[in-house]
Amino acid sequence: MIRARKLSRYGASAALLALAGLSASACGAPGSSSSSGSGGGSGSGPIKIAVVDAQSGQDSSLGHWEYDGVKLAVRQANAHGGIGGRKIVLTLFDDQGDPTVTTDIAHKIASGGYVAVFGAAESADSIAMAPVLRRAKIPAITSGQSPQLAALHDPYEFLNTPTSVTYDSTLANYLVKTKGYRSIAMITNNDAYGMGEHDAFQADLTGFGIKPLADEVVTADATDFSADLTTIRQHHPQVLFIGAEEVESGLIAKQARALGIKAIFAGGAPMGTPLFVSTAGASNVEGSIASSAYLSNDLNAQTRAFAAVYRAAYGQPPELHGAKAYDGAQIVIRALRNSDAATGLKLANAIRAVRYHGLVGDFVFNADGVGLFKTRIGVIKNGQVVLVQ
Amino acid sequence: MQVFVQTLAGGLGFGAIYALVAIGFSIVYRTIGLVNFAHGDIVMIGAFIAATAFMSARLPFALAVLIAMVLTAAIGLVIERALRPLEHRDLDLMLIGTIGFGIVLEALATLIWGATGRAVRTPVGASPLRIAGIYVQPYDLLIIGLAAVAATGVWFLLTRTKMGAAMQAVAADYEAATAVGINAGRSNAVAFAIGAALAALAGSLAGPVLYVNESLGATIGISGFAAAILGGFGSIPGAIVGGLVFGLLSGFSAGYFSGYSDLVTFVAFAIIVMIRPTGIFGEATVNRA
Repeated sequence: MIRARKLSRYGASAALLALAGLSASACGAPGSSSSSGSGGGSGSGPIKIAVVDAQSGQDSSLGHWEYDGVKLAVRQANAHGGIGGRKIVLTLFDDQGDPTVTTDIAHKIASGGYVAVFGAAESADSIAMAPVLRRAKIPAITSGQSPQLAALHDPYEFLNTPTSVTYDSTLANYLVKTKGYRSIAMITNNDAYGMGEHDAFQADLTGFGIKPLADEVVTADATDFSADLTTIRQHHPQVLFIGAEEVESGLIAKQARALGIKAIFAGGAPMGTPLFVSTAGASNVEGSIASSAYLSNDLNAQTRAFAAVYRAAYGQPPELHGAKAYDGAQIVIRALRNSDAATGLKLANAIRAVRYHGLVGDFVFNADGVGLFKTRIGVIKNGQVVLVQ
Repeated sequence: MQVFVQTLAGGLGFGAIYALVAIGFSIVYRTIGLVNFAHGDIVMIGAFIAATAFMSARLPFALAVLIAMVLTAAIGLVIERALRPLEHRDLDLMLIGTIGFGIVLEALATLIWGATGRAVRTPVGASPLRIAGIYVQPYDLLIIGLAAVAATGVWFLLTRTKMGAAMQAVAADYEAATAVGINAGRSNAVAFAIGAALAALAGSLAGPVLYVNESLGATIGISGFAAAILGGFGSIPGAIVGGLVFGLLSGFSAGYFSGYSDLVTFVAFAIIVMIRPTGIFGEATVNRA
């Protein structure tokens, strides 16, 4: 029997409760975290730049650090008069590390008067929003490193990091030519970053005439790696290459040690981060080898100065993502100054013309938006990454 | 063969966590007939509380888990009290209410603990046990043991105590139960509190094997929900079996189907549910006649 239901006052209370919940979630939902000024690229008023980074979800740590790096660069620029007297105003969009959400955000940005985008931290998210931003002629500088980003041949897309090709060729050279390892197994995830790592590293091994002992692929949100790691364990590799983001790489490393795998872990930038070390457990990753563009705050005078300013601003030391994002923001700021706050293709060309000596390297952009072609090798010792090469 | 048995061992560990989540879903469903969609987020809150107590306050892990269970039981009581006026009147609005509470909990977690997550070290630091070439983590044995104790405790409560009898009476016939003086509101509150405490136990135990952040609840909650359906929603034995089966299904899918593991897991789940729509042990819920 179907009862007629009318909204009682109790029903109204429950509905109001649900609405309150939805309103509370709006604080963390995709959208502006601060109101934007007017003007955008109109030639007067503040210059609006969007920041697209995960502020919730598994990748929220990366997004948090990147936003901090960008904010620091913008704060410094505004303190020195901004761009021709115009302040830069940032608007943060939480894409939750989800490409579907990122695409939605890109549409908002396209119609919101923004002149540029910082983000996203993840390759998949950056690839998702690239077509929308390209149509809107809005340059974006991303921390994603998948070779698929360069393969877009997008004049509006720039990377503040080398691609996986560079990370992995440096790593492969070190592992095979310097250390003499030839017994190597691989485990990568199947998102844009993981696939880029897989293809790049496998190509490098093939170039050395090495076939991986095992080549396991997992999903980006997998939690139980028992079967894959047991398969790898049976081959007794000297090295286990991990191609996944920080948290997943850490979980893989942790479970690998729990299953008795004694291989040295090797990987790209995620492996050189404190998040990887803390997730895996420092004792489990002692001796791990990372290829990264930013291994330590103590590399040189520039990184030490940056670390001091960052620590003063946020109370904690910076790491790779903050440094990359800082460099990327500085590049866009320089381009805006050099082009007299241009927008569209003019700004994109101005970004491409910037030559910048950054924290993560010396930027010289090619036609595909890649500006860095070198990384460094570090080894984890006592929970810290130490520069080796 | 070694891969098969090792996968079995790994799957049972995760399966025990899913079983705890599934029991929490089931105990509320069998008592009130409500699917508590805030349950996954309660798992997450429990994980954060335990992680903070264990890693930041440096309390013993057992105490950290206990604190998490007590505090989230209180959250369960708050949710039940807020929704009590709707009990046995409008189940759909209650369901919407739980969704709202879940969103509020997620936002609160971000406000309290920030956007970055927490890595939790394994509290049992012993080397893995080697049994016939299979590596068994002492911590996995702890998870399975605690899940068994919790499930036994719930079974004992429901079948051997007055409170359990009252909860079953309210589920069987609400009017008759209230007519003989059973406090249905208190009975339902106990169900919510126990469900929340079990969620916290699951989240606390999951912390050291995963990564504690706002998405943990969704990750484990969906698996626990599927486990509850698989076993028979509302059935406690069903929740246990469903959890273990789902854990094994996920583990074997990950091992044998690589990047398609999620697809395979849920296709297999869908097939099982189509063959047996009420789950392995059948559905157990309030009498709505």
